[in-house]
Amino acid sequence: MKKFLVVFLSLIALGLTACIFDSDETVMASWLSDQGIPSGYKVQTLSVGDLTPVSAEVFLDSAPKLANDRAVLGTTANVSHDLVFDASFYDPVFFDDLKKSDSAEAHLALRVLKPFYLSKSFPADSLPLKEDVSLKISWKLEKGASKSFVDSVAEIPDSLWLKSLTKWKPDATVDTTVSFTVSSKDTIVRIKIPSSFVSAMKKISKACRLQLRLSAPEASRTYRFYGAMSAFYPKLWVTLPETKSYSEFDPFRMAHLVSNKETCTDCAVLHGGVYDSLVVEYESAPIMKALSDFYGDEFPYAVGNGDDVRQTVVLAQMTFARDDSQGTSELGLPIQVVVGSYVDSAGKSVRKMEAYKLNKDLIASKGHPNMVFYDGDSLTLQVTYGLRDFINRARDGRTFKMMMRLGYPVLQPKDSSYSDHVTSKKDTSYVFFSHFDHARYDFSSAMKQPSTLKLWLANKRGDE
Amino acid sequence: MKKFILSLFVFSACSFASVIGLDALGEEQIAGGMASTAGRGYAGGAKTGDAEGLSVMNPARNAFDTKVVFNVNFLLEMVDLQDHGNDFGVNNITMPSFNLSFPMGGFGAMGVALWQSYSSYVDEEVSGKQNSIETSVEYQSSVYEIVPSYTLRLPIIRNFSIGASAHVVMGNSTRKISMGPNTAELSSTDKWAAGNTEISDYVDGTWEIKNHPAYYTAALQYRGHQASFYFSYTTPHTLLNKLDYNFRMSELDTLAPTKYSREVEVPAMLATGMNFRFMKRNNVMLDVASRGWDKDIENIGGSFNMEPVTETQKDLLVAVGFQRDGSPLFYDPYLDRMTYRLGGWYKTWYVKDVYELGGSLGAGFPLGRKGTLLDLSFQGGKRFADSGRAWDEIFLGFRIGLMGVGNWGQTH
Repeated sequence: MKKFLVVFLSLIALGLTACIFDSDETVMASWLSDQGIPSGYKVQTLSVGDLTPVSAEVFLDSAPKLANDRAVLGTTANVSHDLVFDASFYDPVFFDDLKKSDSAEAHLALRVLKPFYLSKSFPADSLPLKEDVSLKISWKLEKGASKSFVDSVAEIPDSLWLKSLTKWKPDATVDTTVSFTVSSKDTIVRIKIPSSFVSAMKKISKACRLQLRLSAPEASRTYRFYGAMSAFYPKLWVTLPETKSYSEFDPFRMAHLVSNKETCTDCAVLHGGVYDSLVVEYESAPIMKALSDFYGDEFPYAVGNGDDVRQTVVLAQMTFARDDSQGTSELGLPIQVVVGSYVDSAGKSVRKMEAYKLNKDLIASKGHPNMVFYDGDSLTLQVTYGLRDFINRARDGRTFKMMMRLGYPVLQPKDSSYSDHVTSKKDTSYVFFSHFDHARYDFSSAMKQPSTLKLWLANKRGDE
Repeated sequence: MKKFILSLFVFSACSFASVIGLDALGEEQIAGGMASTAGRGYAGGAKTGDAEGLSVMNPARNAFDTKVVFNVNFLLEMVDLQDHGNDFGVNNITMPSFNLSFPMGGFGAMGVALWQSYSSYVDEEVSGKQNSIETSVEYQSSVYEIVPSYTLRLPIIRNFSIGASAHVVMGNSTRKISMGPNTAELSSTDKWAAGNTEISDYVDGTWEIKNHPAYYTAALQYRGHQASFYFSYTTPHTLLNKLDYNFRMSELDTLAPTKYSREVEVPAMLATGMNFRFMKRNNVMLDVASRGWDKDIENIGGSFNMEPVTETQKDLLVAVGFQRDGSPLFYDPYLDRMTYRLGGWYKTWYVKDVYELGGSLGAGFPLGRKGTLLDLSFQGGKRFADSGRAWDEIFLGFRIGLMGVGNWGQTH
């Protein structure tokens, strides 16, 4: 066995010694060249002009969302933003006292989102904001008998609660008018809830769940507040003047409901701050023809199962005509347009958000090309993932499909880092404003004008 | 033992070192790649004895064995590629075959081999010329065969045996060529988009036989007092290499691959050999095997300026060898118990205008008294590539074979 081990280990040592020999890279490159393998894949560009979409459909956001961090109330850009508070509490003593009170009052205090209103990016001449806002206040009260009732409400998953809000059937709705004042000193909006709400609460004996909705469809703007899980959460309290006491019923979660009031059904209008999306589709024929003309052969190439992998998209850009005059914004800042495209996933079309490759020279001189409300008359969006998947499978005649949405306002349109970062002076450089602009942008004219697709194609075809 | 088994797996993950025919079938592991056979220049297919074991070229041989033989082989090969004064080296370790033969007296002998008949392997990279990304080339293709065999001495003319084996083919192949962009054709304002994006041309696939479970070898062996002969015929067959071609940015890409199957029509092989024994334990031997390749082999290719086909030629092996058998008596001096081998071969590859000249020295070291044998062989030679894109190759090979011999089931 020893002999065997000696021989065996010697061979391993020999093998390792052999592995140490390094090969001359120049000679290796020469051998690779002889085998027909280049040192780099060829990249070529192809522009496909005069593309008009076969469809441009807007999907308006109507899904309730949690507003536990930040909350929005009001109406702007044809979108109304409502707030719903969810609270549950157990206090038999208080409810006994409430029943005996003739002058009890209920108030809701909302704290305005100071980082937004006091930001340098918020238009300096906008504050103070003063408005008598007409509010619709509606509520649902459920009676409970024990602490476990309160716990059971807290255990309702957020998703189920949000789903339930799509079919909001309140016990009562009252209209009232509240004076909203927002300034650097006025940071709390206090809403007195009409007495009918107090009357309804008097019917509670031990515990209840309260869902309270605020709507301000007539408001001239939106107001931003802290959410239920923030440090400055809203407070609902009921005061009993007779006993000089009060009880506080703070919501444990909040929801944000939007309703779109756009009247033009054919318009390609997107709104900021909500998840509206514009889905645009292009037919494959012009793109396939351009590729066929470019490569001088049938595209896609008919070999094997017909999926042509002799080229792939390194980068793809779609450039649209842009006319900002049809849009409105709150902050006057450029707004990025977020892009996704549709790719195949196990035979199913799924949306994939696009990466954004930085053309630093262009950005430094002209700013990011993917912004609206900015200089220039074009909007260029990168759709690399989508086009890479599309040309790979386009033999089945599928359309190329992309999605766009309004993103965050851009504070530094010519900063090529494209993300908030720490500078060499240890300062934080904010590229984006971290609050959405409730803007409205109409892409209708852009969708009617021809757009241009530019492809950077990697090619593994041999020299023809 | 665990370490030994682990070592086997580590070695078996690697493959051959020759880079000729990478895109076709790769390098053939001649005669099963056994260390003992390689030590005598791949000759000795006709040599019989008590424990010669299985031959994939001659399945009739082990009818004359009387002992169970298990044998496993390793190969370390170093190749220096040469072209117009330039050269660079590649090397690797592989395990070309396992063999088990099981004599059953009057019922003949069975055997099974696991043989890596063809394989290609390379894993090299060079710095990119146009970018900071290295260009890397990885090939790993193995055509494996499981070869069950059966042989029987003829009833009346006991000096003759017939044998047959089935070659069940399996295996896999991958090729990955990664590189950065060449932006020479782009305008200066367009170069930013390509950046340093690495792309891989990735192909993977499997090997099997088209429309059949296996191909077959039939052989006839004659064992004389001094001279022995064999003749074998291996059926033609078509290898099917099902391939998926991807041109991708990363392994996470979900792009649709091009699915394509290439077919390699492997012609019939005729093999014959003789062994002449003299002075009891000395043998000289000559083997000849040939395959008449008549069709080009479609390459994996499909990319860049790589050749779409590999042109073929008649594949011929002429091997001559000498072996002095070791004494079976355990009390003889150790040097007398050792087996000594010497041989040389000439082989024209299936790749057009490629031929190989090689020589080898070998020795068998008995380990203990139970018949375990350690075979070592040292090979050297040159592969000449007179045309096409292949470079000449000077190769050195070390083979080690472990042979266990037993008397299972025998009572006397």
